[in-house]
Amino acid sequence: MKNFDYARPQDVQSAAAALGKAKGSRPKGGGTDLITLMKSGVLTPPLVVDLASIPGLSGVSRLETGHFRVGATTTIAEVAEHPELARVARVLTDAAATTATPLVRNRGTVGGNLCQRPRCWYFRNLDYVCSKKGGQTCYAAEGENKYHAIFENVTCNIVHPSNLAPALWALDATIHVAGPTGEKSIPVADFWVRPEEDISTENVLEAGEVITGVSFAPEGASTGSAYHEVREKQSYDWALVNAAVRLDFEGEVVKEARIVVSAVAPIPLRLEACEKILKGQKFSDALAEAAGKAASGGATPLRDNAYKVHLIEKCVKNTILDAARRAKVRSGEPR
Amino acid sequence: MHPPDSEKPGLSRRGFLKGTGLSVAAVGLVKSATAAQEAPAAEVPTLSAAQTHEISFELNGQTTQAKVRTGHTLLETLRDQLDLTGTKLVCDQGSCGACTVHLDGKPVNSCLVFATDVAGRQITTIEGLAKNGNLHPVQAGFLHEDASQCGFCTPGMIMSCKALLDRNPSPTRDECKEAISGNICRCGTYFNIFRAVDHAATLMKGGR
Ligand SMILES: Cc1cc2nc3c(=O)[nH]c(=O)nc-3n(C[C@H](O)[C@H](O)[C@H](O)COP(=O)(O)OP(=O)(O)OC[C@H]3O[C@@H](n4cnc5c(N)ncnc54)[C@H](O)[C@@H]3O)c2cc1C
Ligand code: FES
Ligand code: FES
Repeated sequence: MKNFDYARPQDVQSAAAALGKAKGSRPKGGGTDLITLMKSGVLTPPLVVDLASIPGLSGVSRLETGHFRVGATTTIAEVAEHPELARVARVLTDAAATTATPLVRNRGTVGGNLCQRPRCWYFRNLDYVCSKKGGQTCYAAEGENKYHAIFENVTCNIVHPSNLAPALWALDATIHVAGPTGEKSIPVADFWVRPEEDISTENVLEAGEVITGVSFAPEGASTGSAYHEVREKQSYDWALVNAAVRLDFEGEVVKEARIVVSAVAPIPLRLEACEKILKGQKFSDALAEAAGKAASGGATPLRDNAYKVHLIEKCVKNTILDAARRAKVRSGEPR
Repeated sequence: MHPPDSEKPGLSRRGFLKGTGLSVAAVGLVKSATAAQEAPAAEVPTLSAAQTHEISFELNGQTTQAKVRTGHTLLETLRDQLDLTGTKLVCDQGSCGACTVHLDGKPVNSCLVFATDVAGRQITTIEGLAKNGNLHPVQAGFLHEDASQCGFCTPGMIMSCKALLDRNPSPTRDECKEAISGNICRCGTYFNIFRAVDHAATLMKGGR
């Protein structure tokens, strides 16, 4: 790995200032993604700015508004094992618990998980100057594309790798950002950037901007949420497809639904067509089945990944069923 | 261990430590090989790419110094500089667990930790488990159940199993599977490992 200047600021403002000054510099959370990309030479930042040593940037807290806030450098393990979060944001703790390995979860952070780079093997291999690395070709389009996108795979076929991203979107979370010009809050729905807008990145963060935390409202008394993923091997793996679902009920009727899928497109996708099938309807297994079927609408699979079309339908259906079951348990109704 | 060539007393960048929550004075110093006035912008403590930095940390209970560059991983430092080759290098990217060590008591991939990040912190490696010639119960459990074949995954496996038993003295089989899910065994010794953990749990509770 190439050596780099390594800054350990004591506050977010000086972190942002340092990052803003050196072109190509990178913030670091746990380093579990950054270090692998620096080893392979895909990233060669002249300056790395450690966020993990900034006091006050990690931990879970309750805000005056009643919302929960998770600091950017909170580890994925802390989120996965947080008993209160498991009560108020089950979709998030489930997503965290299925992320990577216990070893990676002890280092990897929430901010780093959201900003980790795609796992596409062409992108990660220095020998392929793919369009994401400034070249002209997406090698996955005609190449080995078993793990690539089945939606929005026009310019670049990566899939978004973060487990926490769809879960936070299902909670309608807000991402808090600090940068050289100050602080701002971005709804998670507006955080992502499609390859067609800017192929070099996956999110809206500008040079010098860092995530400081995420916040969301706790689930209500008749809400249920769930995260499911399908993987190739059980021990640990990136998801082949995943789904994050939040359902708010009024009696038997679905009042509000959030259905977000990932690992199927360059950015996480909210499936409003599936939500519409559920909203205002009396819940039933058949309704979940119908919503699941709708999840594959518009899919354009590649040579090796048509299997994902089937998986996403089942995954969405099962996640909806799980979220509905949890809402029932919470509101004390018998199953 | 002596600091490199141009090190002079009083030039260590103590500011690097300020406010990081490290309350120890002697442990955790990061010293740089050249004078502080050559450092870039003073306001943010920065370790230069061009220099070697001396770190001090607690390794298997002993205060230990190492001279590292910013691009060095903890794994490289343990193996190449401190001669602790029990911790293994396989994938170098967090996928196999052969490099598992404990950082402040938690199991992590030492191939994904910058050496400079462990200044002032506690590292335990496989070499730190046996005490006074007595194997740690997890090691004894591995022997008892014949839980290694080629042995390359074994140090990392043992570190993950020890971390599990440290926080959960009576793990279920599923909890054991989850705890070692980041450690890959090419020889397929998993079932013996599960039994080794059961055996170690019994030993740790005073059984035989
Ligand atoms: C074996 C293995 C399996 C994995 N499986 C999964 C999986 O199943 N699901 C999954 O979601 N992930 C998986 N991962 C990825 C892992 O979750 C990420 O590496 C981790 O979450 C990154 O967090 P970090 O803090 O270590 O990020 P870092 O490596 O520190 O940073 C990652 C990127 O984000 C940027 N960054 C970091 N923090 C911030 C911030 N606060 N603001 C702005 N930018 C920031 C960095 O500059 C860098 O570009 C796996 C990783 C490994 C090694
Ligand atoms: S060598 Fe570190 S996980 Fe494989
Ligand atoms: S014993 Fe050979 S890899 Fe596990």
